[in-house]
Amino acid sequence: MNPEDLAKLRDFCRDDAAFEQVKQLLLQKVQPLELAIHQAQFQLEQQKTLFRVISRLREPIDLETIFHATAIEVRQLLKADRVGMFRFYPDSGWDDGEFVSEDVDPAFTSAMAQKVHDHCFGEQFAIHYEQGRIQAVADIHDAGLSDCHIQVLSQFQVRANLVVPLLQGHHLWGLLCIHQCYGPRQWQETEVEFVQQIAEHLGVALYHAELMAELRAEILERQQAEERAQALNQELRQVIIELRAVNKELEAFSYSVSHDLRAPLRSIDGFSQALLEDCSDQLDDSGQDYLRRIRSATQRMGLLIDDLLTLSRVTRSDMHLETVNLSRVASQICMELQQSQPDRQVEFVVQPGLIAQGDVRLMQVLLENLLNNAWKFTSKHPHARIEFGQIDRNESISAYFVRDDGAGFDMAYSDKLFGPFQRLHGIQEFPGNGIGLATVQRIVHRHGGRVWAEGAVEHGATFYFTLAEEEIGA
Amino acid sequence: MMVSNKIILLVEDNPDDEALAIRALKRHNIGNEIVVAHDGVEALDYLFGTGIYSGRDLNLQPSVILLDLKLPRIDGLEVLRRLREDERTRLLPVVILTTSSEEQDMINSYSLGCNSYVRKPVDFIQFSEAIRQLGMYWLLMNEPPPL
Repeated sequence: MNPEDLAKLRDFCRDDAAFEQVKQLLLQKVQPLELAIHQAQFQLEQQKTLFRVISRLREPIDLETIFHATAIEVRQLLKADRVGMFRFYPDSGWDDGEFVSEDVDPAFTSAMAQKVHDHCFGEQFAIHYEQGRIQAVADIHDAGLSDCHIQVLSQFQVRANLVVPLLQGHHLWGLLCIHQCYGPRQWQETEVEFVQQIAEHLGVALYHAELMAELRAEILERQQAEERAQALNQELRQVIIELRAVNKELEAFSYSVSHDLRAPLRSIDGFSQALLEDCSDQLDDSGQDYLRRIRSATQRMGLLIDDLLTLSRVTRSDMHLETVNLSRVASQICMELQQSQPDRQVEFVVQPGLIAQGDVRLMQVLLENLLNNAWKFTSKHPHARIEFGQIDRNESISAYFVRDDGAGFDMAYSDKLFGPFQRLHGIQEFPGNGIGLATVQRIVHRHGGRVWAEGAVEHGATFYFTLAEEEIGA
Repeated sequence: MMVSNKIILLVEDNPDDEALAIRALKRHNIGNEIVVAHDGVEALDYLFGTGIYSGRDLNLQPSVILLDLKLPRIDGLEVLRRLREDERTRLLPVVILTTSSEEQDMINSYSLGCNSYVRKPVDFIQFSEAIRQLGMYWLLMNEPPPL
C-alpha cells in the first residue's frame, strides 16, 4: 500500500492502535491478492511466450532458429542464467552429446559445442527421461546427485537445474535445460509446467524437422533417380540411333547379298547346264561330271545364301509379343512331318496346353527348326520318338524342350551347336547347312531367353529353351 | 509352237541373265519376238516410243513385260510406277522377275500394280522351267487387256 493511502486510512481511524489493527487486517487481505496478480501476470507472459513458440512452429524456419529464439524468450521469462537445448549424439546410447542452442547470461561461459560425456546418464537415467521424467534441482550440492553428475554440471557453473526431456516422437532426442548459476533456486510448479509445455512444443518442431529431413532425403533420392533415368534415357537414345544405323546397313547389306550374290551363281549354273546340253558330245564323262559338280556347288551356295538371309531376317523382323499355344504349333508341325514321309515309324509326344508369350511367326520358325532336326536326326532309326514338353523346375520362367532318340551328338562339341554353318555330322550323313540352330538361338535370344542342349552319340538329343529373361542369380 | 506375233519385253541389265532367259525361251520353242531393254530408261523409251525408240508404232505393245527390279538409271519399281500412271500402258501385264525375295520389294511391287512376282532361282533348270511357264501362261493362256 502506498503512503498516501495509508495517510488517508490513518485519518479514518480514531487512534494509532486502531490504525495499526486495520493496517494489519488489510495487509493480510491484500498480500494474497498481490501474489495472485503477480501469478496471473506471469501466466499471461507464459501464455504469450508459448504462443510465440507455437506460432514459430508454423513458420517454415529451421530448427536452429526455433531453438535460439525460444531459448531467449524462456530465459527472459524465467529470469534464468542459461537456457540450453542439449542434443544426444545419435548412436551414443545417451552417453554423449552437446548443447546445440543456448541463451546465457553474459556473466557466465557458453556451454555450446562442448562434448559432454556422462555415462551414468546413458546407463541409468535416459530410459526414465524417455518416459517423461523431469529433474528440478534447487541446489546441486544439496540434492544427493552423483559425483559425475555434479562434475558435469559444475563444468557449466550450474547451481540450480531444471531439466525436461526433448522427445522426437517417442525417442529421447535431447534435453531442455534451465540453469541458475548465481545461486540456488527453488523451481515453482508453474515454472516447471511451463518448461514442460515448451519442451512438448519443441518436440513438435523436432518431429517436423525429422519429417522434413525424410522428405528432403526422398526428394534428393528422387532427383538422383530422375537424373539417372535421364542419363540412361540419353544413353538408350544413343544406342537406338546407333542400332537403327546398324540395322539400316544390315538391311542394305542383306539386300545386296540377296540380289547381287545370287546373280553370278545363276550364270555359273546356267552356262554349266548350257554346256552340258549343247556340248555334251565334246565332253567326256569326267568333263561332264565336273560340270555337274560345279552345278551342285553353285546350287548349294544359293541355298546357303538363302539360309543366311533367313537368319538375318529372324534378327531384323519386328517382334509382336502375344499369347502363343506352343503345343498347337508343335502338333501341327509334327503332323506335317509325318505326312511328308508317311512310311516312317515315329511316335510324337506333345505335352498339351503349353502357352507362352512370344512372336507367333518366330515361334513357328523356332519349333520348325527343332522338330525338323529331330525328324532328320532320327531318320536312320527304324523307330523313333520325338517329344515336345515343358520341364519341371523350381523357377518362375518356364523351360521347354524338344527331345529325340536319334543320332545325338558328342557333348564335347555342344558349344559349337549354335554357331552358324556349324555342323557336327557329315553332309553325306545328314543334309543341312548348319543354320537351323543358329536361327533357333537368335529367336530365343530375341525373346530374352536361353537355349541349351544335352545329348550323347546315338542316344538322342534334347534341346531346351526359355522365352523370357531369367532373374539374375536364378 | 505357234504363238502368233506377240512380243515379250525383257527388262534385264545382266547380260548373262538375258542370255539365259532367251536361251530358255528358245529351248521351249517360244519363238516370239523378244525385245530386250537393258535399263529402266530403255524400257520406258520402248513403251512410250521415245529416245532410241522414237517413232515406234505404239499399237504394238508387248503381251508381257518381264521386269527386273534392280536396274541402272531408272529402277524396276519406278518403271512400273510410270507404266501404271500412263493411260497407254496402265493395263499392260507386268511380271517382276528378280533375284530379290525381300518382303518389302514384293509389297512395293504389288502395291504399284504388278501382275505377278517371280523369283529367279539359282538352279538353271528351275529358272528355265520358270521362264517356260511364264511364256506359256502370258502368251498363250492369258487374254491380254484390250488396248
